[in-house]
Amino acid sequence: MPSLPLWLSNTRSLIGFTLLIFIVGAALLAPVLAPHDPNEQDLINMLLPPFWVEGSDAAFPLGTDSLGRDILSRLLYGARVAMTVAIFATLGATLLGAFLAHLAGYFGGWVDWLIGRIIDVWLSFPPVVLSLILMVGLGAGLWNVILAIVLVDWTRFCRVLRSEVMVVRRRDYVSAARLLGFSHVRTITREILPATLPLLITLMALEMGIAVVVEAILSFAGMSVGNEVPAWGQMIADARQDVYNAPSTLILPSFAVFVTVFAFNILGDGLRRSLDTRLTQTERA
Amino acid sequence: MSLLSVNGVSVAFANALGTFTVLDKLTFELQPGKVLGLVGESGAGKSMIGRTIAQLLPNRFHVTEGDLRFDGRDMLKTGAAEQRALLGRDIAFIPQEPLAALDPVLTIGQQIREHLDHIGRGAGRRPERDWRKVAIEALDAVHLHDPAGVLDKYPHQLSGGMCQRILIAMAFLSQPKLLIADEPTTALDVSVQARIVGLIGDMQRRHGTAVIFITHDLRLAREICDDVLVLYAGKQVEFGPASEVFERPGHPYTRALQLAIPPAAGEHRGLFTLPDRMPGLMSLKQMGGCRFAPRCPLAEARCHEVPPPDVTVGPGHRALCHKPEATPGIAPPPALEHRHRDPDAQLLFRARDVSRHYITRARLFRKPDTFPAVRSASLDLAEGEFLGIVGESGSGKSTLARLLVGLEGTSGGTMELLGRDVSGMDRGTAAFRRENVQMVFQDPQSALNPRRRVGEIVTQAMEVMNGSRADRATRAAELLQEIGLSPEMAQRYPSQMSGGQKQRVNIARALCTVPRLLIADEIVSGLDVSVQAQLLELLLHLRRERAMSIILISHDLSVVRYLCDRVLVMYRGEVVEQGEVDAVFANPQADYTRKLLAAMPGEGAPAAEKFAAEEAFA
Repeated sequence: MPSLPLWLSNTRSLIGFTLLIFIVGAALLAPVLAPHDPNEQDLINMLLPPFWVEGSDAAFPLGTDSLGRDILSRLLYGARVAMTVAIFATLGATLLGAFLAHLAGYFGGWVDWLIGRIIDVWLSFPPVVLSLILMVGLGAGLWNVILAIVLVDWTRFCRVLRSEVMVVRRRDYVSAARLLGFSHVRTITREILPATLPLLITLMALEMGIAVVVEAILSFAGMSVGNEVPAWGQMIADARQDVYNAPSTLILPSFAVFVTVFAFNILGDGLRRSLDTRLTQTERA
Repeated sequence: MSLLSVNGVSVAFANALGTFTVLDKLTFELQPGKVLGLVGESGAGKSMIGRTIAQLLPNRFHVTEGDLRFDGRDMLKTGAAEQRALLGRDIAFIPQEPLAALDPVLTIGQQIREHLDHIGRGAGRRPERDWRKVAIEALDAVHLHDPAGVLDKYPHQLSGGMCQRILIAMAFLSQPKLLIADEPTTALDVSVQARIVGLIGDMQRRHGTAVIFITHDLRLAREICDDVLVLYAGKQVEFGPASEVFERPGHPYTRALQLAIPPAAGEHRGLFTLPDRMPGLMSLKQMGGCRFAPRCPLAEARCHEVPPPDVTVGPGHRALCHKPEATPGIAPPPALEHRHRDPDAQLLFRARDVSRHYITRARLFRKPDTFPAVRSASLDLAEGEFLGIVGESGSGKSTLARLLVGLEGTSGGTMELLGRDVSGMDRGTAAFRRENVQMVFQDPQSALNPRRRVGEIVTQAMEVMNGSRADRATRAAELLQEIGLSPEMAQRYPSQMSGGQKQRVNIARALCTVPRLLIADEIVSGLDVSVQAQLLELLLHLRRERAMSIILISHDLSVVRYLCDRVLVMYRGEVVEQGEVDAVFANPQADYTRKLLAAMPGEGAPAAEKFAAEEAFA
């Protein structure tokens, strides 16, 4: 068996990564895989049960919701929203947070003070409330959801990374690089960033899970993408009134959120274990 | 009857790869009230002996054979409960890191009280002031100021030396029969070290305690031990009375170690450098003959094939060697002739009244509180000169180094390099300084980026100049050659190298741009004497080849005496004395220099007198 790259040579990362490949695949191939248009209403076939329950219809493998929309198709299309948000919101939050964290941790002094105070103020808003307010201001839409999550969650990166940068900054090899004529930019990118990257990657995996949850919350509250775009949070919200006679309409989208977040978290945990230099340095040697 | 008798005890470590012998058939005795020194390089198994006696072996280690008797009791057969009762009462410990051995969330008083309970002298229902009295008496016996006040303090409020004294006081509370001191002074300053060693000796005599003193410092061992056991790769290579072992060493290893240490006084001589390093656990199995043979200057064919016999070389003095009679023949290389400083040498570096203050507390409307780390230090350095800076920790010697090299800005004073003013921190000055002055950092662990290969690290300076890949590879090979490593090492990561090799890479990186002045901050501290000797030889080699100057910062006076032309003594941020090495060592002017010299182990007055002298420090 060809050896797996280091970051995958760990059961946890492997499980997480495999699950995510399925989810991303489902999202990408939704138009091909979905048996129906996710918004197509079939008022004759309302609240059909999934296939393992008696009275189901083979045309709707996972049943239908209260408007007769095919749940499987809606789940597949919902994965597109979830994945887009997870990836782009995380990228945005990472870039912003990591940039400021490296500035603050490397230069220290007033730069650090200023960035630290901004974070303090930022964190004093409850994150869900802040994102809801932002959504009200920005209006519905996929990119606005992403923007809202970036603006709320960059602080998470910034705070954790800043302290890591400060630790690395104090190592003598950073001083040595400066003495050898490295500019500040080069010192940060060549000496400090490689040391903080494992933490950064781990944080990104965890943040993707968080982004999925936040998006679900926003769409549950009807503050995310518009009604015409299927999203998991929205499906949960729609299923509330029929929860007693058609529990699967609520359970299935909840399960989709759960599996996705679980995959991201276990991937993050596995990455932390295999990328943490304190644990791997001797093994790699 | 001897207090401790160890007879053919072996300890092995077992893992998935097999079983490895860590200690091999140790045989020695310790009489009541005597001090036994365990010496050897790191990794030889010194600490493991202490742990074996106390039956505190780590996981996967176990005694495979032999007989271990303490006070008539078979230690290998006593139950866990009985052993626990023995520990702390009959067998006491003094650890290497005093701060790590004390509980940070309990006061000193609470910890002493707990210990009293454990050893059965506890308060029990006795009133508070009773145990306080006992505790105060104990702390008073180790010469702590204000013992009553210390009882209410937490460990972090005390210095390392004070914590070590508290641990000594606690160790002697139970009137132990045996005290195991595992490198008790390694983490402390030289000046404090002398006091701690004196104190242990003092307490030991007063209580008639037997002591096992584990140390890598042969001079310390010589000073305080009655008997000495030399350990090499898990083998007891020599055992005997300290005076015998050090005057007439029977094993070449003992002799080599002795000659690897620069003498602190008397005639100058060269250092004996042992090649390579001690074989690792894994490679021991393939070694048929003497384990020291590959490094031994006297080795012949049979040494590599036949295990050496245990030979009696004097009264109570045994050595594990095929031909111990040849050992005295190992001679040190002749003294260096570098001490002829060129009087016409050009002035390279000049510093005048350089100072540095740190802000300890910023205030909003008033001047901030400051702490002067360096107070108006001045020095001149000629081209090709070696200057030593000595002082205890906190004396400002590392700060001065950072100022000289430009890692920090000065708070005042001027610096000149080759006649050009370099006091400022602007770009041009920094570039000029960079070309001529480089620094070797203290801790190779932190000074080498673990994510870069050695080849990249040593040619890091070329990265800024956009050196091509091929150029860098060539230069890396050159540099590695120069510092005595094979060019293949360029492909390794720092984590794949030994401490001595890392320190060499650390030096090579600073040499890449061919600086005229190298500032070396404690680059040999924490290394074994054999590795230290190798590195000192390397520096001398560089001096011959490159004619560069070095400022060597060290707390080890004998290293400075060996290597440097002039020495500068710092105390509390001030330069208290500077001058030619021989003159300063022979006839110190400043009080502090005199005390520093007196505190060196193995020189002049015996420990007890020294201890009295040291009290003046505090």
